[in-house]
Amino acid sequence: MPRPLVLPPLLVALGLTAVACSESEAVSDTVDEFGRCADFDPLRQVFWGDTHVHTEISFDANMQGTRTTQDDAYAFARGEPIALQPYDEDGTPTRMAAIDRPLDFVMLSDHAEFIGTLDVCNQSGSPGYDSQQCVDYRAAQQFDAMPEFVRDVFVRINGLLNLPPEDAAYPALCGPNSAFCVDAGADVWRGIVDAAQSAYDRSDSCTFTAFPGYEWSGNSDGRNLHRNVMFKDDNVTDLPYGYFDAPYPEELWARLVGECIDADSGCDVLTIPHNSNLSDGIYFNERMSDGDPLTAEYVELRNAIEPVIEIYQHKGASECLPGAATADELCGFEILPFSNLATTNLERITPPDPKGFLRYAYGEGMRFESSLGTNPFQYGITAATDTHISASGFVAENDFKGHGGAGQPNRFLPPPPGFPDVEYLSPGGLTAVWAEENARDAIFSALRRKETFGTSGPRMTVRMFGGWDYPSDLCNSAELVAQADAAGVPMGSTLDPQPASSAPIFVVSAMQDSTSAPLQRAQIVKGWLDGDDYQVRVFEIAGDPNNGASVDLDTCAREGEGFPDLCGVWQDPDFDPAQRAYYYARVLENPSCRWTTWQCSTAQYECSDWDYAACVARKDELLPSDFSCDCCDPATGLRPAFCAEVDCRDPGLLLEAEERCCHQVEPTIQERAWTSPIWYQPPG
Amino acid sequence: MLRPLVHFFLIGGLLFSAKAVYERSAVQGPAITVRVPADASNAEVETSVREGILLNEARRYGWDRTDPIVYTHLIRNMRFIEPDSEDDDLSLFRRAIEMEMQAHDPVIRARLLYRARKALSFVPEDRMPSPAELEEHLQRHRDRFEREQRVRFQHVFLSRSKRGETLAADAREMRDRLAELDDSVPSGLGDPLPNLRPEQSATPSELEDDYGAELAGLVQEGLVGAWRGPVSSVYGLHFIKVINQEPAYVPPLDVIGAEVRADRLRELRKSLAQERMAALRDAYRITIERTP
Repeated sequence: MPRPLVLPPLLVALGLTAVACSESEAVSDTVDEFGRCADFDPLRQVFWGDTHVHTEISFDANMQGTRTTQDDAYAFARGEPIALQPYDEDGTPTRMAAIDRPLDFVMLSDHAEFIGTLDVCNQSGSPGYDSQQCVDYRAAQQFDAMPEFVRDVFVRINGLLNLPPEDAAYPALCGPNSAFCVDAGADVWRGIVDAAQSAYDRSDSCTFTAFPGYEWSGNSDGRNLHRNVMFKDDNVTDLPYGYFDAPYPEELWARLVGECIDADSGCDVLTIPHNSNLSDGIYFNERMSDGDPLTAEYVELRNAIEPVIEIYQHKGASECLPGAATADELCGFEILPFSNLATTNLERITPPDPKGFLRYAYGEGMRFESSLGTNPFQYGITAATDTHISASGFVAENDFKGHGGAGQPNRFLPPPPGFPDVEYLSPGGLTAVWAEENARDAIFSALRRKETFGTSGPRMTVRMFGGWDYPSDLCNSAELVAQADAAGVPMGSTLDPQPASSAPIFVVSAMQDSTSAPLQRAQIVKGWLDGDDYQVRVFEIAGDPNNGASVDLDTCAREGEGFPDLCGVWQDPDFDPAQRAYYYARVLENPSCRWTTWQCSTAQYECSDWDYAACVARKDELLPSDFSCDCCDPATGLRPAFCAEVDCRDPGLLLEAEERCCHQVEPTIQERAWTSPIWYQPPG
Repeated sequence: MLRPLVHFFLIGGLLFSAKAVYERSAVQGPAITVRVPADASNAEVETSVREGILLNEARRYGWDRTDPIVYTHLIRNMRFIEPDSEDDDLSLFRRAIEMEMQAHDPVIRARLLYRARKALSFVPEDRMPSPAELEEHLQRHRDRFEREQRVRFQHVFLSRSKRGETLAADAREMRDRLAELDDSVPSGLGDPLPNLRPEQSATPSELEDDYGAELAGLVQEGLVGAWRGPVSSVYGLHFIKVINQEPAYVPPLDVIGAEVRADRLRELRKSLAQERMAALRDAYRITIERTP
């Protein structure tokens, strides 16, 4: 005989639904003065973070089955494991992931667009509930939805972001004046800010810093112009502004300036551009969105609100393109064979445009500076993951679980055989800042002054200073940082005026990640403006590019010696005081396996009967353990013999499998760090 | 995410309000039969029982007929079975219900379990934690909010890549120099690293991440006031002098209130789900049927 049911007073829940999330008992969160941390250093220390993370709130992440929350993303960043898709029939996640070391700071950047839409689509009775988009969205949420269907729904709904700005509008389901979605989005935004408040460590231990933010995701015609919006603290705008609210970057900046920076409320915000590599070369356009030439006012606005840029993330590197403008054999790192976001999502090979890369932007920036007096593209450097599974800072090549995103169906049981992500994508990188302490003010200020660098994942630490009279033996001084800081400027700055007829001197000091490969070399990349043309040259300043380090592709064991730390003092041998110039450091590890090679080195596969067409045709029938289709694919770069005779000059004559040889990823990579540049401006 | 939560809270209210009717009328809960494999372990049986209860609750409140994902799924099933049908969605849905398609579909089962589990963890406003409760939570779970001990120490480094074969001899010389040093910061001694400071405060965990376990262990030993070392890292050799130790501590509520509140809510959701599951488990009359 069962005992009588004893329940807590749950009936009240029915009557309380309208105010169920009341924060009436909120506690104080006011302790945040500069200098409160136990480990404060006026000469600044390095902090590691990820400023590009998506959770279940993002439409594309949600579509691929991500159910991890913002709290999960913060917990992951602090070192706690999280459970990941795919889910089994009971909705239980089947994979776990954990970061090897905690991050110091994180900004979660869920897409602003569709934030409210998802809620509208999930509430029966809402005005847009029966719209076709909502019906499709819900159908795609089913556990047995076919990947092709999920992809189709994603493209049709997310395709609203591909419309030209003049046609940008919320989906019809959002009701008159889009009020229903705007309203719902405001609720979600408050939750985002609250989550950051809860995650931020306000004690003097300063173990973790969280910033509220989101991603503005305009990509007219598939040409990516996305920006992450990062607020300094919980003093934020009322709404997160997406493409439907502000379809032009200028409009986004104007709203952020008007409603935050100029609002006299203590609010501060910046935007972080990313994936200029997928913009069809328009990211650093020489004209404003209305087609008019850049004005000084525009340049000042852009420069002020957009101090740093992501040089690398899950969807490729944006530093430089092989063969473009200058010989630099290291430009081939994680270059996507796609020109824009749409072709990336569709995996349609299209050659990238060199105008979408930072080398072009830095050169163009100097040209504009000559004519307008201000540089619109004077970007400091960051890097990030762009994970769509809430795995903040999860950059391990040897434990890559796929960051998903862009509607990739990554939630089915059994999981798809082979790789957990598209072979051209990668784990992404991290941002490092030089700040006095791990607190919001200090980190935000570091981003504003561009004292930052990005890495392709490993936590190799790099410091760079520029000045006019550094001693040549500065690297031998235990007080290098104090001396260099006192007599020069750090990365991200502009050199002080030239004191005499000397050339600038730069010091680069680097140390390897204690858990990763040793360093191979440190370089300085110099770009300068010669008349109306810009040039680039790469200088080796420390280490040994010919140290013979290599990798065993069968085991991924690293072979050969490297350097645990490197330091170099370098004076520009070709300096012309009349020419504008920039200098940034690039530090490289010894080679190591790319994630694709790691997967194959631990998997069973046999390529003797490999057939590309057959693999494509029966991919869904393969066992999860069967990696042969991916590992035998010439695109992984693991079958040099197969590709040896392939002539890529005329791909039209090639079989499909042979053509894959022409778009190989690197089987090994050289992980790296890129510092923010130091700029030189001629007098007058 | 207020709106979805409201949605689930409403569901939760419905779920358990109906259960409360049993209590008031002292009527026994529903009887269900749970079929398990003959060799199922006790844990597997318990899992099946709990799922059976949740599925029954979900069906009792009609979610297998009203849930939007169930609705769409059934229509898709019907259009697969009857590809030439010209019936509208509603007709197909009704026909699927008549066929009891929803009772056996694994996708619908998963969806209903998902909704029921969400409802189990609903937190009503009268259970939202007050400041007093948060203080109590903080005191009760001090370990969760404890900040790791910190050590303030001085640090001199000799680079392996810079000194090469002279590293060991240089280390001996440095040890002698440090022994003669007074209490001042050892500025100007040793080699630079980009993130190395002659004096800093750090936790053992941070030091292990940066320089490895050997150096972290030495610092954690906490022998104050004497130069120790050298200890080795991937970078070279290190000498350490601990200046003072700051023990692990728990910050006050007015500093970490938001963190404590978030933790309390996570805990509350979990305990409410357990309480409610237990209550349902008690109310139900379960028959276990082992099948070969």
